[in-house]
Formats: sequence, C-alpha cells, structure tokens
Amino acid sequence: MIVVGVAVGLGVTGCKKRGAAQTGPGGVSPIGGVHGDSIYGEGLGPRFGMDGDYIEGQFQPVYYAYDSAQVSAAERGKLEEVAEYLRRNPGANIIVEGHCDERGSREYNLSLGERRALAARAYLVGLGIDGSRIQTRSYGSERPAAFGHNEEAWRQNRRAEFVVTQ
Amino acid sequence: MTTMPIMKRNSLHLVCLVLFAWMASAPITEGQIRISKPAGEKITIQLAGLRAGDDEAARLFTQTLQGNLNRSGWFSVVRAGQAEVSVIGSVERRRDQLHVQCTVTGVGNRQQYLSKSYRHTASDARRLAHTVADEIVEAVTGRKGIASTRIVLVGVKDNAKELFLCDADGGNLMQLTHDRNIAVRPRWGPTSKQLTYTAYLQRFPDVFLVDLDSGNRTAVANYSGLNSGGVLSPDGQDMAVVLSKDGNPELYIKNLRSGRLTRLTNTPRANEASPSWSPDGRQIVYVSDQAGRPQLYIISRDGGAPRRVTSRGSENVAPDWGPNGLIAFASRVGGRYQIAIMDPQTEQVRYLDTPDYADYEDPSWAPNGRHLVCARRENFRSSIYVLDTMGDAPLRLTHQGGDWYSPAWSPE
Repeated sequence: MIVVGVAVGLGVTGCKKRGAAQTGPGGVSPIGGVHGDSIYGEGLGPRFGMDGDYIEGQFQPVYYAYDSAQVSAAERGKLEEVAEYLRRNPGANIIVEGHCDERGSREYNLSLGERRALAARAYLVGLGIDGSRIQTRSYGSERPAAFGHNEEAWRQNRRAEFVVTQ
Repeated sequence: MTTMPIMKRNSLHLVCLVLFAWMASAPITEGQIRISKPAGEKITIQLAGLRAGDDEAARLFTQTLQGNLNRSGWFSVVRAGQAEVSVIGSVERRRDQLHVQCTVTGVGNRQQYLSKSYRHTASDARRLAHTVADEIVEAVTGRKGIASTRIVLVGVKDNAKELFLCDADGGNLMQLTHDRNIAVRPRWGPTSKQLTYTAYLQRFPDVFLVDLDSGNRTAVANYSGLNSGGVLSPDGQDMAVVLSKDGNPELYIKNLRSGRLTRLTNTPRANEASPSWSPDGRQIVYVSDQAGRPQLYIISRDGGAPRRVTSRGSENVAPDWGPNGLIAFASRVGGRYQIAIMDPQTEQVRYLDTPDYADYEDPSWAPNGRHLVCARRENFRSSIYVLDTMGDAPLRLTHQGGDWYSPAWSPE
C-alpha cells in the first residue's frame, strides 16, 4: 500500500508541468507531488562504479517522450524488473544512465539526461530500493544507441539504461 | 608623434549610436586619433611594400598577415596604389629566425602609425604574423586585434570526442587531449592559460581544470551524479557549475580555494545548465526549463530570485556573457537555432543575419566584443564559423572533414 502511494506521487512529480509556468522565487513550483518532491530532493550517495566490471544489457531500456523526464506508465514494468533484481541480489548495485536524442543544446541535454536517470532512480527508491545502491550518470546526447537522424532513432535514444556493478 | 584622422573618431561614435545603439563600443584611448570607418566599410591597406625573402617562412608570414588583416573586420588588403594605409618593410629569414621590420603609414596623410622590428623562430612564422597583425590593427584603429587569440573546440576523432586548439584564423589546429573519451563544452578561464570542461575520465561526468602551460589536469567537481558546465569567475577564484548531487541538476558556485559550495537554484522540477559569468563577476546567466522550455535567467552570484530574460523563441540556450556586457546565445526560432545577442540591461534582443537553413549554436565572444565563434550544423554535420556583429559575412573556420563543435574563443 505504501509502495503504491509513493509510486503514484512519483508519477505526478515526474511529469513536467507545462502549465505550471508560474513559479515562485527560486523557481520552486507550488504545484503538486508532495511525495515526489521529497524523493527528488534526496541527495545521491557516495559514488561507486569508477572501476571494475559492468554488466550491461541485462535490462530493457526505459524510453522517454521528447524533452520529458517522466517515466510513463507503460515503461514502469521495466523498472519493476530492475527493482526485483536488486531485491534478489542485495550485493549488486546499479548505475542508471540517462540519454537524450541529438536535438538541442549538448549541455542542456546533459542535465535532461541526468533528470531522466534521477526519475528512474526515484521510481526504484519508491519501490523500496535503498537509494545508496543507485548512482546516476548522464550521457546527454553523447552516446546515441541508434545513429539515424529521424524520429525512430530519436525515440530509441531518449532512454535510461541500467548497468549492474559488483 | 601625432597622427591625423582620415575620419574623426566622433563620427564613428555617431555611426555606432545609429546602427548599434545598444551595443557597447570598445573604449578608445583619449588623446589618440585613429582611423575609423562606418560599419561595413573597410580601411584599405597594402602590403606591397613589405619585401619578403624567397623563403617558405617569409611567405607564410606574409600570407598569414594578409589573412589576419582581412579577418580583423577593420581592413581590406588591396593592391598597391589603392590603399589608405601602407605597410612597408622587410621579412627575412636569418638561420632559424625570422626578422621583420615594418612601418605602417597613412598614404594620404603621411602619418606613421607603427614602426617596429620583430624577431621570432622561423618555424613559428604564423605566430609572429598574428602579433604584427594585432599591432597594426591597434595602431591604426585603436582597437584590440584578435589574430593572436585562440579557439578551443571539440572534434570527433575515432568515435571519441577530443579537445582541440586552433588559432583565430583556424590554422595551427592541434589535438589537446588523447583520451578516447567524451569531452564536453570547454570554456576558458580569465586567462588563456586555463580551461574547464567536462569529461568521463573516471567513468562519470566530472569537471576538469586544465593548465595549458604545464598540461596538468585536475578534477574540480567530481561529486556523485552530474558535474557539468564548470566555468571560472572573472577573478579565477570561483567556478559556476551544475551539479546533481543533491538530487536534481542545480546551479552552484564552488570556491576553488576552500572547496566551499554555494547552491544558487532550487528547482526540483527543472533542469539548469550552461552558466556564464557577467564581466564584473556579480551575476550569472544560465539556462533553466523551470517554465517548461529552456530559457535564459540571470541570478546574482549571492543567490536570490533569478530574472528570466528571454521569451522569444521556443528555446534559448548556451549563453555567453561577453566582455562587452552583451549576452550571445542560441535561440530556436521557426525550428532552427540562430545566434542572438541581448543587452541584459534592456533585455533587447538582436538576431544575427545568417541567411541559410543551417543551425547556428554555441556562440562564444571574441575578446574584441565584435566577432563570435559558433558551431554551424547542417544535415547533422557540424563545423565552426566566425560571425561578425557588424555585418561581415560568416567565415568558415574548420575545413577538415568530421564534426567540430562547442568552440570557445580565448579571452586574450
């Protein structure tokens, strides 16, 4: 029950409120997602995964809409699989890698990719995974998975990937 | 020595007021009279009287000098007998040294603007040409030349993204990093000896400070999560940087001596990116999508409420606050990025005329406050161009194949 509640809160906060253009000083929006805000506000734990081997490609990438960091309902099952793996393997840690399509400013894309990774991380935390087991790493638009310059390639490139460290 | 004007400098001021009313014009030292022209009109200069020896270094010198003067924005090199300004002298190689003697005079007024001898390693003839070009520009126009400045940029090589350096005319391209890694958006510090940029040398995006003299590279932001956009303050004491260690990408200032961090933004729903300092170091312009799309905001270095300064265009990104007080940025209008310039006092915006369908992104001011270097992207290939805020046509800087982007013009 608690898990469900948090997950719903995340769904709200992960959504970029296009209508919420009126922000207060410091840009803090007064609207929505109390649970979500508190999870986004949680800092990252100490880094890991600077050396050693990675296990890549074990999980399906989570895909995102254009210029959005929201984990859509259709993609959440993939994160539940990641969470299940982490529950069964308490010694494993994970790096969530956030990516963008090639359009737009590279530096802005680095921030957007990071938010995508953080949104996936927040969802995993909402599913009960200890946040200290999840690092984030944004590649912005620097490491596309598909090399075309069309809608299909862009769709495949707006993603979060999961790397297991041991 | 007194100099006579071909055109009184006050008349230049009038032209500037009319055409670029909101554009800060470079200060001209009182008591010195220089040649000035309305925007777009060049001072004609001839190099025919500069006798060059039959030697490769001497020829390279003359050729580079001519290119530099044409690129300065103020001159047009013309054939003998048609010029307002004449350069006479000699370029001679003596063993491994290049000796240059040059005298610069007004043809009509017989005034001497410069008379000087130079000596430099012959193998570095281009560098000497840059020095001489800048001295001619300053002597005749009273404005700082840019020939001796450099540009740092990112190039794609063997699928890796490396830092490169080139001269302001695109020559002397050299590879700075050989990391087979990802280098992102280099920026100069207050001097031309320091660079900051983002790379994944320890597998995560960290900000590195490069000392070009020693070649030393230090991680100056390697917190958990994202470290990007690091840029030194004008006094070199602080760095503005985007960090996500506290759970979301936000703008911070890091004091490089104490390591102390000051958080400037608090936007749990939004991204911040691309900070750039005001010339006085009191404010920072940056990108935030807190209102939906990425737009430019200005915040005091002491924090407080940011002020949104852009509204036109679906997005406004990659600001560079120039030494002239103006902010150059990439503005997406009609589905394509163009270079725009804003006076942050009035928030008035002017778009540079780039009459084609390419995207122009990542502008960076030249220290003369007149030229900009930027990436031009067409058919998903990127190359580097120099733009002129006073109307000269865009000039391509990189002629090599491959992708070149994120240029930054050195501050001196």
